[in-house]
Amino acid sequence: MSDYLCHDFKSPRADASRRLPNSFRFIPITFYLSIVAGIYFVTMDILSLRQAEKDRVTAEQLRKEHEETKAKLDSEKLMVDIEHAKAEHVAKWVEGTRVLQPICVEAARAIRGEVRIAELVLDRNVELPAQIDISMRLTGADSSHISMVENAFGKLNYRPYSPQQARTQGMIDYRSTLVFINE
Amino acid sequence: MLLEEIKSVLSFAAFRPDVDDADIPWAKRFEGRKSLLINIGRNQTSWKAVDKKGRLEDGGVQEGEFADIAPQRAEEWRGMTDNGWCSISVNHRFIISLESNMMRGENCISLLRSNPRAVLGPKFDRGKRYAISHHPEAATSMLLAVEDSMVKVTEDVLKTIGLRPARVCCGLFAMMEHTVQNLAGDGRNSAPSSFVLIASCEGSIAALCQQDGQWKDFRCRSGLGMEMVETTLQIVSPLVAKAPPGTPVFYVSDGQDEKFRSELMQHLEKVGARDLTEPDLLWQIVGTY
Repeated sequence: MSDYLCHDFKSPRADASRRLPNSFRFIPITFYLSIVAGIYFVTMDILSLRQAEKDRVTAEQLRKEHEETKAKLDSEKLMVDIEHAKAEHVAKWVEGTRVLQPICVEAARAIRGEVRIAELVLDRNVELPAQIDISMRLTGADSSHISMVENAFGKLNYRPYSPQQARTQGMIDYRSTLVFINE
Repeated sequence: MLLEEIKSVLSFAAFRPDVDDADIPWAKRFEGRKSLLINIGRNQTSWKAVDKKGRLEDGGVQEGEFADIAPQRAEEWRGMTDNGWCSISVNHRFIISLESNMMRGENCISLLRSNPRAVLGPKFDRGKRYAISHHPEAATSMLLAVEDSMVKVTEDVLKTIGLRPARVCCGLFAMMEHTVQNLAGDGRNSAPSSFVLIASCEGSIAALCQQDGQWKDFRCRSGLGMEMVETTLQIVSPLVAKAPPGTPVFYVSDGQDEKFRSELMQHLEKVGARDLTEPDLLWQIVGTY
């Protein structure tokens, strides 16, 4: 196209506006870029939100599974704790009977021949730990055997207090209170 | 108003030239928009639509006064253009003369529109509107003077039918300017230093004689009637006769009146005239430049 420009003698328009310089084109371009970027980020945010919601549901499910597992493990632990507590009781009881064990051993050693200990009960009073109530049932025994048992207790510095004997059908029920003599 | 301005910035309309910005070629002003070209003669008006791609589309011709034709064609014309903008080419009640030592300069053209007295000096007439075309090398210029009242009336008629003139020009003067520039600036052929150029457009005729690179004589008549060929020959003959033998004669017309053109060329061919007319030449000039 040649550089010819047709003449014009039109009446000038009063409301004519000046054309903006081309450098100002960055304003609408920036505006549209912002819109595009906004749409991009909103879209990405929506996608991320949906993914996050999916992840949250999965996590909730996982949490429930873990809670169920935890509850199961807690109940098992409770059982173990109960068993442990019982075992501790047993251990304490065993520990508590450590003082009585020599008495049992001496009583067993003192019995000779055909004599059998049918029953042996040792009861220590909490209020008076130095005293132990003993109840013993012997089969095929006589008074000499009871004396031997009392002597054996004497070696352990226990003195029988208020001993009682009762004979019934070849058996002797012996009851006494052993008092520890601290010499 | 503020909303409109924001809209124009965001739609890039604020960076595009105004549709009535005379410093921008028509095709660039109406890129992607439909426009209407109207050519007004004394007894006839023709029009052509330009589509969004700048291609010429449907047109028409109607005889009669423009003030009578315009209301009849208003709806059709409004449908041919976006926002009612159109280009007006007036081809009567004007005169073109040769002037010497006129003011030249980059802003001379716009100054002629805003303050013609500053350019024309004592030649200025309040009742006229002006356009000027300078010889590229010599000090002579073609000066167009159009009746101001006729332009105002034409603009008012357009306003009443809902059209807005984005440009008001003279078709004959535009054809002369364009052809002279083409003859001088065609790089493929050496520019002829002497020639006689005859141009006709919608019942108006102009003839320019250049000798040794200088514009020597200019004849012009606007608004010729039915006896146009005879009158044209009376105007042109003295110029051609005065020109040295062998001076090329060029003829260019708006390409609409084939009868007039063929009758005139029958006479002009006797002096070896060359017809530079192209189909829809006027519409191409006013619809492109």
